[in-house]
Amino acid sequence: MRYDSIVEAIGNTPLVRIDPAVHGLRHIDLYAKLEMLNPFGSVKDRAAWNMARDRLAAAAGRGATVVELSSGNTAKALALLAGLHGLPFKSVTNRMRVPEIKDLLLLLGAEIEELPGRSECLDPTDTEDPLTRFHQALADEGGAYLHTDQYFNPRNTEAHATGTGPEIVKDLDGRAPDWFIACVGTAGSSTGVARALREHDPRVGVVGLVADKSDFIPGIRTLDEVHQVGLFDPATYDTVEPVTSDEAIDGMLTLIRRCGLLSGPTGGAAYHGAVRHLRPLDARLTERRTAVFIVCDRAESYLSYVRQRRPELLGRPPRKNSVETLTGEEAARLAKEATVEEARRLLSEGAPPPLVVDLRGPHAYAALHIEGSLNIPDELFAELVRGGLPFARSRPVLLACPVGERSARYAALLTRMGHPGVRSLAGGIVGWRDSGAPLVRD
Amino acid sequence: MALPDMALPLYLRPRLEPPLSALLDEAALLHSLVDALGSPLNVLLPERIAENARRFREVYRKHRLAGQVYFAHKANGSDCLVRALAAADPSVAGVDVASLGELRHALASGLGPGRLLATGPKDPEFLWLAARTGTRVHLDSPGELEQLARLVRKYSLPRIDVLLRLSEFTPAAGSGGVRLLSRRSRFGTPLRELEKALDLVERNEDAVELTGVGYHLDTTGVEEKALALESCVRAMDLCRARGLNPRSVDIGGGFGIGYVEDAGEWERWTTELGQAVLGNRPALTWRGHGYGLRNEGGTLRGAPALYPAHRASAGPAYLDELLSHPGPSTGRPLGTLLLEHLHDLDCEPGRALADQCGLSLARVLEVRHDSGDVLVRLAMNAGDVGLEEHGVLVDPVLLPGRSGRAPAEEGGPEGGAGVFLMGNLCLEADLITRRKVFLPRLPRPGDLLAFANTAGYAMDFHAHRAQRQPVARTVAVTRDGDSWKWCTDERYWPISPSGGPAS
Repeated sequence: MRYDSIVEAIGNTPLVRIDPAVHGLRHIDLYAKLEMLNPFGSVKDRAAWNMARDRLAAAAGRGATVVELSSGNTAKALALLAGLHGLPFKSVTNRMRVPEIKDLLLLLGAEIEELPGRSECLDPTDTEDPLTRFHQALADEGGAYLHTDQYFNPRNTEAHATGTGPEIVKDLDGRAPDWFIACVGTAGSSTGVARALREHDPRVGVVGLVADKSDFIPGIRTLDEVHQVGLFDPATYDTVEPVTSDEAIDGMLTLIRRCGLLSGPTGGAAYHGAVRHLRPLDARLTERRTAVFIVCDRAESYLSYVRQRRPELLGRPPRKNSVETLTGEEAARLAKEATVEEARRLLSEGAPPPLVVDLRGPHAYAALHIEGSLNIPDELFAELVRGGLPFARSRPVLLACPVGERSARYAALLTRMGHPGVRSLAGGIVGWRDSGAPLVRD
Repeated sequence: MALPDMALPLYLRPRLEPPLSALLDEAALLHSLVDALGSPLNVLLPERIAENARRFREVYRKHRLAGQVYFAHKANGSDCLVRALAAADPSVAGVDVASLGELRHALASGLGPGRLLATGPKDPEFLWLAARTGTRVHLDSPGELEQLARLVRKYSLPRIDVLLRLSEFTPAAGSGGVRLLSRRSRFGTPLRELEKALDLVERNEDAVELTGVGYHLDTTGVEEKALALESCVRAMDLCRARGLNPRSVDIGGGFGIGYVEDAGEWERWTTELGQAVLGNRPALTWRGHGYGLRNEGGTLRGAPALYPAHRASAGPAYLDELLSHPGPSTGRPLGTLLLEHLHDLDCEPGRALADQCGLSLARVLEVRHDSGDVLVRLAMNAGDVGLEEHGVLVDPVLLPGRSGRAPAEEGGPEGGAGVFLMGNLCLEADLITRRKVFLPRLPRPGDLLAFANTAGYAMDFHAHRAQRQPVARTVAVTRDGDSWKWCTDERYWPISPSGGPAS
């Protein structure tokens, strides 16, 4: 297919049937609307383009910055759209909670501003929250910003009422599904799709999914937060149900490992919520029904999210030459230490004198260190020893860390690996300083 | 959408630990104290504050850090807490004094100047006494530095140790291009003016010795503090490069307290507040007050101006979290970074060190039914218990009066009774809290309400003598074997476990 601009590739995403052997529903055909296959990677491409398209030319004329409250896919899509039109993009967010997304946004050239945290010493007369200030600042700047305002902008909903929704009906041979299940973020996709489907058949059941209050699923609001969304209207949904991050990851694993769909956790939440909602209904059915859920984006950006919550999914076998493999007995038996006095004697009289390896971070080393020492920060040192001894056995080594704990463990490890002359500086650099021994900066 | 179960009382029950929890079981003792000394009454448990300081020291030990924990005196003006700290091992805690009065009080309580740190904006008398006694001064501004140096010279005072308070931290280049916004503070020297401030330090080297730099940020956000702390470590490098020899990084206070025991109760209440503001349920507050939330066309706007009353991580645990947090540009845990740079860590917890150290008692004067609401008038006003002033929402504990148990029918559904707590001033706004408070049963005149955990900022900070209503007296209570001993605050000296004469 040939296009003049990548924006023409937004929309017309596939609707893929989930194998009944996977979901176990006997009377319901469950379809995934693969919004992750939009060109910028998510369902937000549609809303971002629809909110910005008619305003970009004028914004370019006055040199405006595109700005949005987003820490995820909307920011990603807007950053790319802004770049296409030669405009800067600024994302304002409470906290970037997924590091890969943050890195990706920076790669796309976005500027990120994080709003301040909650006040510890509350000023009760100050009822203006950072968001209100954000809106005031946008207004004050006159035309300097193109604010897409995704939580309140009806063109967000419209993108789905005229795009996503009708596409589903078309792909189901002109019928609306019996159920539509979607996660609620800005409420744009769920509201827009629900509107289009109900115009076709008012009996469509709509299930909105939100995160548990104390939980976090990227792109989904919690039960409280949805009420802060201008596009959210409780009447859109027949029911609003909570999903946990654990369930979202379970759903994501099923889509990835059983269905060949490289879904992120939000799509996983939609799948899990859909099956959970439909299972009891399915048991009472005698004729065939259809249900559709949205797979909003892809898995790759959420590896750290998964690692944080389910580290076993990304587990690696323990490494051989690492301090983690030392037993307590080994650490105590194998670690040879040198007091500050002994160390100073070895340095002045040793033949040869020991190589001093300072395991602290480079900034700390640069500020003050033992003269002639070599800096290998402990995480680099860990990598280095994994492959074998980094020193000749004939060269004595003195390891130093802040207080002599890390260095003692590494001394034990190197001794276990066969080095005969490794010692740890007892009391570390702190002990060295406290005994009045000299430290230098270069 | 599922409707909330409105039949359940929306409790926000306090987190109670010994000895405060045990003291609250002593209703007869607390009643007799109020009979004798009047309502309102502040009750302090001085022994707990040293225990709290030791818990902070545990975190220092875990991260192998040296330095001092200073109690921010402003959190509580009483004698007994400061005297209890004076009696603790000097390595456990010192006191942060923010006025001439606090400095004099700490010195008079037995703390030597080596255990004190003078903070905040200072008047000349405060600076003079600090310099005269050798109390380290946390400088608020370059102007204060010059003023201090002039005093030292003019009155031939000894050279004085100072810390520089820094502010307005921005991420270093290469730290990810993310601009972290923080509330601006009125206090401290902007980081970008550090070089100028150090010029000033060097010009006044005869009078002051720079021993460290610090910050204090009003936020619960660990990321903002991480940025500030790492920036301070960089500032220390700059000082060293210029030949100065500072030793400590001061990270201020703001470690917080968890007031409400149960996360579920807190989350349910805050959810219901939003629903009430949206009109989906009956109001939870006096005249529908939204605590900063408002309803704009069915959408909730604004942010709740509330202290996070349930906190998963507060006090020493919050310090631990901060020290374990990676520095935004170095990526090294901040505790490790401090240790590697051989820096000491100083901090000034106020609220967190006063955790579980006391309670405020109020007598119920009147219970009135008023167009569907129950108004409970207390012999206390909003100034006497400053919880609401700090946005802290937590239930008082009902201590029944001598008339015995109330008949069951006085309770609301499920035994819970929702009431509004009114103060003793002739002022519409004098509510102890604007929240409808749920109690296990309807209070009766003569009952006591015990507001737990008020020792940090909620006792004397806002108290006043308006209308010549009595200001609360303060008593110090100590455990004595199986019983309790008490004395008035000013009579407390920590020379025996019971606070009485040493045996």
